[in-house]
Amino acid sequence: MSAARDMLCDTARAVFTGASDIAPVEEAGFALLLIPEAEGGFGGDWGDVDAVLQIAGVTVPDLPVAELILADADDRLRAAATVSLMAGAMGQALALSIEHVNMRQQFGRLLGKFQAVQQSLAVMACEVRAVEAAAAALAARLDAVGRDPSAADFEIAAAKLRANRAVGVVTAVAHQVHGAIGFTEEYDLHRVTIPLMRWRGAHGNDAHWAQILGRQAAGLGGRGLWEAITARGA
Amino acid sequence: MQGFALYPFDPPGDAAALRTDLRAWLAANQPAGDVVARANCWASFDANFSRALGAAGYVGMTLPTRYGGGDRHPLERYVVIEELLAAGAPVGAHWIADRQTGPLILRYGSEEQRQRYLPGIARGELYACIGLSEPGAGSDLAAVRTSARETAEGWRINGQKIWTTGAHFSHIMLALVRTEEGSERNAGLSQLLIDLDTPGITIRPIIDMAGHHDFNEVFFDDVLVPHGALVGERGQGWKQVTAELGLERSGPERYLSSHALLVALIDAAGPAPDPALATLIGELTAEIWTLRQLSMSTAAKLAAGEDPMVEASVVKELGNAFEQDMPRRVQAIIDRDWDDGDDLARLLRALLIASPSFSLRGGTREVIRGIIARGLGLR
Repeated sequence: MSAARDMLCDTARAVFTGASDIAPVEEAGFALLLIPEAEGGFGGDWGDVDAVLQIAGVTVPDLPVAELILADADDRLRAAATVSLMAGAMGQALALSIEHVNMRQQFGRLLGKFQAVQQSLAVMACEVRAVEAAAAALAARLDAVGRDPSAADFEIAAAKLRANRAVGVVTAVAHQVHGAIGFTEEYDLHRVTIPLMRWRGAHGNDAHWAQILGRQAAGLGGRGLWEAITARGA
Repeated sequence: MQGFALYPFDPPGDAAALRTDLRAWLAANQPAGDVVARANCWASFDANFSRALGAAGYVGMTLPTRYGGGDRHPLERYVVIEELLAAGAPVGAHWIADRQTGPLILRYGSEEQRQRYLPGIARGELYACIGLSEPGAGSDLAAVRTSARETAEGWRINGQKIWTTGAHFSHIMLALVRTEEGSERNAGLSQLLIDLDTPGITIRPIIDMAGHHDFNEVFFDDVLVPHGALVGERGQGWKQVTAELGLERSGPERYLSSHALLVALIDAAGPAPDPALATLIGELTAEIWTLRQLSMSTAAKLAAGEDPMVEASVVKELGNAFEQDMPRRVQAIIDRDWDDGDDLARLLRALLIASPSFSLRGGTREVIRGIIARGLGLR
């Protein structure tokens, strides 16, 4: 990460942590993130948006940070922003789960020492990594095409669909390894799992994006799909 | 394993031109072949194709030119590999030598070994197999018992390997053996490069449930190989093998080896599929796109000299799950009988039968998940 992005992330963490409404986020100038420097903005790119929204997905999942940054953007860009929120929240669900199983003991051992628990968390971690990769690759595409959602339609559909499909495993395993404590209002897990359930249906659920992507792939044909995927990146 | 960053996949030179050239070369040189051979194509043996591919400079690409290689960047090789797999090219003969054995000989081998083996590998003419599993050492690889004792004449090998893919057509085996008498577990192991025409070696086929002969039993009865057969450091075999498995686990073959089925499905569905079929195609497309990003990032990390053991395992786990899931989901939705003769039905049948092996070869699902769990700090 660049030094500028590191600083941006430090600011985001400091401002978001403990914020109970959007006012401090507005005051810190996050609405200017994507505004060019020449127009008095921060001049950020989608990689910056991805990084900030991953932090928002962990710290303030219920505040409209993405709406603030994107203003009146196309709904497909809101879908892209949601992928970053989801990646952040999933990373947090995984971190909380690891912390819990490395602390909680049953049958005289840490939960994390049981193979059944290890295998479940490995499955969950794979899903989280897949969504993080999807968010990062989508950001790279959006930045390569000047944030034109029509030029990144394939990647937006693929990334949002992949993120949606990870929600089931990620929330289920996180809650399962936490046991009853994770189902309480007091414990932080629901602060990311309920938003994940909500985001799955926001800005295009599975069926919405699968139809769009499936028709696009079918239109390209079997060989054409591969040629399109490789032509679009690397 | 916190904070997974996507490594930029940025091969030097003109990757698009490399891709275009290879596609043109394949159009002219890839044998028509059977559609079923295109699926699981890294197990399809075709020595003529391997030789032609080597002559065209697409085998041993990353080896230095002084050993007959192309001195190309690992990510240029990655581009070539994904194109070969996506096209279903029969790369099985030289696959292991090109992917694993060549790079390992370059990294750990002696100058004599490099000169002796690498040019043949780069020509697509010298094939290799990996001698790891034994009857008592499957997932538990540290239980290897095949022994090699150093004598005045050389190493004397006794024991047995099993599930050795391609031993019947390979010229050499890179074997993990116990060189230190009385050693246990992952200590005292070394790697030996064994010419398979050495007296005392017996290779017997094991036919798999699909009726194919891919793997073998290999017996060593007082086999004498020269002192120079040792690869790398004596006693460091475990470390060397572990590094090798990173190369094995994260490549594009983990999600592209049955790509022919997706191609056939899309072609059979036509340009305007019904909603259920469009949904399936969309979900499979999202998965290969994501897997490709993960795999490319892991390859870039490997190329940068890092050791992304956990990321490589994530690619293998997700890729295996995808490739096992795909034929089941295709069968659930398309209207084909088991014995139908069109491409889609034949591919489907072949991949349903082959699919149990996907999460066994290269490390079982349970072992792979254990590696990921260790990366998470749970073991």
